[in-house]
Amino acid sequence: MHLYLPVALTSINVLIPVGLGLAVGLLSGLFGVGGGFLMTPLLIMFGIPSTVAAATDSNQIVAASTSGTYAHWKVGNVDFKMGLYLLVGGFTGGIAGVQGIKILQAMGNADFVIKMTYVLMLGLVGAYMLIESLYSMKKKTAAVSVEKPATVSSMGRFLASLPLQTRFEKSGVTHSAILPIFFGWVVGVLAAIMGVGGGFLMVPVMVYILRMPMHVVVGTSLFQILFTCIEVTFLQAYTNHSVDFTLAVLLLLGSTIGAQIGAVFGRKLKAEQLKIFLAVIVLAVTVKIIFELTTTPSLLLSLGGGH
Amino acid sequence: MKRKTLIAFAAALFAFFLVPVLGAGTASASLTAKANHDHITIDFFYNGSEVSVRGISDPGVELVVKLASADGHQVLKEKGKVGGFLWMNVGSLKLEDVPNLYYLQSTKKPEEILPQAEMDKYCIGYSALCNHVVMSPVKDPADKAKWFGEFISFKETNNMYFNTAGGFKMEDAKDGARPYYMKFKWPYQAPPGDYVATVYAVKDGKVIEQATSKVQVEQVGTVKMLAGMAKNNGALYGIISILSALGAGFGVGLVFGKGGGAH
Repeated sequence: MHLYLPVALTSINVLIPVGLGLAVGLLSGLFGVGGGFLMTPLLIMFGIPSTVAAATDSNQIVAASTSGTYAHWKVGNVDFKMGLYLLVGGFTGGIAGVQGIKILQAMGNADFVIKMTYVLMLGLVGAYMLIESLYSMKKKTAAVSVEKPATVSSMGRFLASLPLQTRFEKSGVTHSAILPIFFGWVVGVLAAIMGVGGGFLMVPVMVYILRMPMHVVVGTSLFQILFTCIEVTFLQAYTNHSVDFTLAVLLLLGSTIGAQIGAVFGRKLKAEQLKIFLAVIVLAVTVKIIFELTTTPSLLLSLGGGH
Repeated sequence: MKRKTLIAFAAALFAFFLVPVLGAGTASASLTAKANHDHITIDFFYNGSEVSVRGISDPGVELVVKLASADGHQVLKEKGKVGGFLWMNVGSLKLEDVPNLYYLQSTKKPEEILPQAEMDKYCIGYSALCNHVVMSPVKDPADKAKWFGEFISFKETNNMYFNTAGGFKMEDAKDGARPYYMKFKWPYQAPPGDYVATVYAVKDGKVIEQATSKVQVEQVGTVKMLAGMAKNNGALYGIISILSALGAGFGVGLVFGKGGGAH
């Protein structure tokens, strides 16, 4: 059955957005990512204008991340304190990133910077997560019986010397409040440049820099994504009029259920397995983008508005 | 059922209004045309439509049917190579005096029955459209032809441009008049607005008659209400979208929670 989308001005088979929502919602509940880096290109592929695809995806992520956050909160996997610090940084970073894009557009090389940032960030994050997870799995199977005494690196000493040290009970870590705000800001800048929610960047920051347990990372990431996407949805609806409510409803029909299934399924997987799966998906998207960038496109013209 | 009634009603309206407006040749029978339908309504279950044209022409003429939107302004992103191997957007192509939708169907290829000057005069065929459109930035006529070709590919891929010969059903002439019939598959991609259907009768390399009529495409009901709210009341629309998403997320969370998803 086809439904007409009033803002996208196109007709779509309802099974497509519901199915996409289910698949991306599953990843969202599983890994704590919004899935924008997957969903937006898929929607464009099915004929949705790029501006509407990006804006509507934010709207459906609100539903998926609410569903996912709720599921993780029920099992105590959301660090609200850490999430709030990251949000403060993310909001201000997002504003800075949008201004940065305006400057790049005025200079005429915005598209190049956006694409390169996308490829580099996805490639680096995916490769690092994959290598690190495989290494730590290998280390565990080696079953080292003698535990080495904990050593503190110079970076660790530097981070511990920062002011405003605070305890994040849920995550079981102590950091300076500056740390999550700063990295939230960096992710906010990059997310704004790339036009994505930034979950796939935020998750590695929380795992590798903030040293949070993987399951708390997923819930906290979803909590942070929820608020980011509420802001983006409102701004897109208010300034660009590009949110298609009908499409969002079709997507969230699948994504809210997918997020729940993902959250349940995720609890059955080990942290390393989760990281490896996410790394493989991120690397697959990177390869796809590189392929698109280097292959002669079938059409040399496209509608304006997207990346 | 309701939609079929509307289509039939629109067809009757279209048939009434699509009348010959010009006669300037030696045809023995005036060109007539009836078409369904001049008012296409877009509701939630809209997935495109069909516009057919039926009428009577002189047996000795060729026919060209053009269905197009008004000329307007379009901006598209141009892809090009950066650094010799990376394909990305490198600029914008601006087009003036160009229709968003352009459908052309004729009994024979326009270039076989009309000289270029006559095609240009009535904007019949892609070559005439290329001469008509103002494009920038283009370096020279060859560059314009290249990018116009890309533009046609883009529009045809999106079902907004169509150009073909044949597909007319012709009956035997009777009393110097020949009934004809053809149809266009109306694309769901065509946005709401006014379109003009024009039938040209061609003889001896000249357009000797033409008939035009307005085709209106309009959103109705909830589709119209949502599109209007998105455009005119973005803040309220955004808040409703967010609250609905939050409600759906919590709702599904509660359902799954009760089902034992949590521990």
